[in-house]
Amino acid sequence: MADTTPTSKAFWEGLTPSVSSGLASVAEAGRAALDRLPVPTRRSERWKYSPLTAMLAQPLNSPEAPHGIPEDVHVQPIPGLDAYRVVLVNGHVVTEACDFPVAEGVICMPLFQALDEGRLQGGDADWSGYHEREWVGALHAAHAQDGVYLELEEGVTLDRPLLVHHHVTGSNVAVCPRHRIVMGDQSSAEVLVWHSSSSEATGMVNALLEGHVGRGARLGLDKVQNEQGKIFHLAHEHVTQASDSTFRVHSMTVQGHWVRNELNVAQKGRGAHTIMHGVYLPKDQEHVDNHTTMDHTVPNCTSSELYKGILYDRSTGVFNGKVFVRQEAQQTNAYQQNANIVADQGASINAKPELEIYADDVKCSHGCTVGQFDDEALFYLKSRGIGERAARALMVQAFIGDVLAGMGSEEVAAEVETLLSERHGWM
Amino acid sequence: MLTIKNLHAQVDQTAILKGLDLEIAPGEVHAIMGPNGSGKSTLASVLAGREDYEVTQGSVDFDGSDLLDMDASDRAREGLFLAFQYPVEIPGVSNLNFMKAAINAQREHRGMEAISAKDFLALVKEKSALVELAGRLRDRSVNEGFSGGEKKRNEIFQMAMLEPKLAILDETDSGLDIDALRIVSQGVNAMREAGRSFLVITHYQRLLDHIVPDHVHVLSDGKIVKSGTKDLAMELEEKGYDWIKEPAV
Ligand SMILES: Nc1ncnc2c1ncn2[C@@H]1O[C@H](COP(=O)(O)OP(=O)(O)OP(=O)(O)O)[C@@H](O)[C@H]1O
Ligand SMILES: [Mg+2]
Repeated sequence: MADTTPTSKAFWEGLTPSVSSGLASVAEAGRAALDRLPVPTRRSERWKYSPLTAMLAQPLNSPEAPHGIPEDVHVQPIPGLDAYRVVLVNGHVVTEACDFPVAEGVICMPLFQALDEGRLQGGDADWSGYHEREWVGALHAAHAQDGVYLELEEGVTLDRPLLVHHHVTGSNVAVCPRHRIVMGDQSSAEVLVWHSSSSEATGMVNALLEGHVGRGARLGLDKVQNEQGKIFHLAHEHVTQASDSTFRVHSMTVQGHWVRNELNVAQKGRGAHTIMHGVYLPKDQEHVDNHTTMDHTVPNCTSSELYKGILYDRSTGVFNGKVFVRQEAQQTNAYQQNANIVADQGASINAKPELEIYADDVKCSHGCTVGQFDDEALFYLKSRGIGERAARALMVQAFIGDVLAGMGSEEVAAEVETLLSERHGWM
Repeated sequence: MLTIKNLHAQVDQTAILKGLDLEIAPGEVHAIMGPNGSGKSTLASVLAGREDYEVTQGSVDFDGSDLLDMDASDRAREGLFLAFQYPVEIPGVSNLNFMKAAINAQREHRGMEAISAKDFLALVKEKSALVELAGRLRDRSVNEGFSGGEKKRNEIFQMAMLEPKLAILDETDSGLDIDALRIVSQGVNAMREAGRSFLVITHYQRLLDHIVPDHVHVLSDGKIVKSGTKDLAMELEEKGYDWIKEPAV
């Protein structure tokens, strides 16, 4: 039974439908699906620990395009990072703040422009089908906004990382950025998606990123969520990989009132390699949910997944890691690890690895741990004169250090670490 | 240096130290021996400030301050050092970062500036040579994957780095091979000086051949039941503990 309660209707009724003609049919399908698909509540298995009830209580509005760059937006949020830049405020590209890469074989522009130019040809405007599967996806599709389109032609390497900085400001805003990354065969790029918001911001971010990594190509994606205010952040990344490609993604939640990340990666060609890493350190009453799906559909592929969380105060976390190894996918080597520290009594984590293995000649290992800080280790550090706070900081850095070290650049990893230590008062 | 008076301590309502007295003067080396479970490590832990142990009676004066009033890190900054019977592995924290943090915490406490990278490395070089700690061990995570003997050597390396006023060595000799025992003892002996005291907990007279104590005490059932010179250790080695536990005639 579809759950189209009056609340959910009131919630999205006031929003501006997607304005891109290139996305018209997707938006249309999304709008239709909004009535058909169930609104995520405690009753639906996939949303049991992250019901949308609190978000739906407050109707939202679609914010106007900003005039210029709002004052509280740091156009360059990462000190020392030499990167191309796309700045979005509330789902609108702020052209004057952008520094698009211009080079032979590199096509980088706002998504709407790419649609207008017919770069996403008939039927190709949507890869994820998210709006067919999830109410949240339908909500996005119906109101899809602008984002980045990045395409690298065969053999091309993007010489600097691309920073996509998305900022949210305003009250009860609904923001639906949409990105597309197309990596031609043997191409290579590093992309950093940085989410920020002003401290008074409230509302929803419902972001979609679709990507394809061609044969022998390499895409590194760092996603950093550093949103103040009270934002419900729904994110879906959908990436497919061709043979011998590498896709690395780091999902780092520095700060977020309520976060649900949904990351799907499907390997479609032999010899593909996937790295999915993530870190979450919620505090107060924050909520962070990471749902990941690693789909091995062909032989000889590998995946390595590592998510680490520390939950403070009364925060809550969810980790759900699905790994499919299809019957065809012999000689798969899949690794999944989720480690959690529940730092305070009021905090909790719901962690669930879900492995479905249909091939017989595979190597799959997974582990999931939930523990506390090691008091013995803390005492050992203190017994050498290191104070309580510094001792905890050392242990946190030790815990998440291997995830940070794998990020695309030292500058980004250092900034994430700095933000975390400022936020948690480690130093 | 250290004056312990009538110390009583318990863990989970079970009394373990039951009225312990001990006086260590500056520059002295005291050895504590005693049967398993008599409370030797408990004494070490209480002195180092482990929070699971509750002191129910008594006092401890450390170089003029109330030791029991300080938390573990302040005790260390004031110059107390405990070489653990079972050193803890801390994956992901590099030995060197750990030592740097410890040294800087101590320096800050003394109103000094943080140590420069150059001085720190020089210090590491000097002190690791003292205990012949291999470079590969220095650079690893704290004690992670170290053998039992390597862990003990790392404890002495840390002691040498931090130059404490009072070092408590809890069975540092156990698990050491003959060469390691000699090296570790030499390290300790090299640090012996007028202002620095040692409390050496051991089961074996062998260690005391290398680190010659000024006083030897026997701890039994939470109390010091006998004190003497290094000859007492020889006697214990020969006769065991039973003759002491028997009531005096
Ligand atoms: N944390 C604890 N919880 C419960 N009992 C403890 C704890 N720590 C020590 N004890 C008990 O206190 C007693 C003294 O232990 P302690 O470790 O001090 O002995 P020890 O003299 O160091 O022995 P050993 O020679 O075997 O090292 C033992 O009976 C031990 O079981
Ligand atoms: Mg002991």
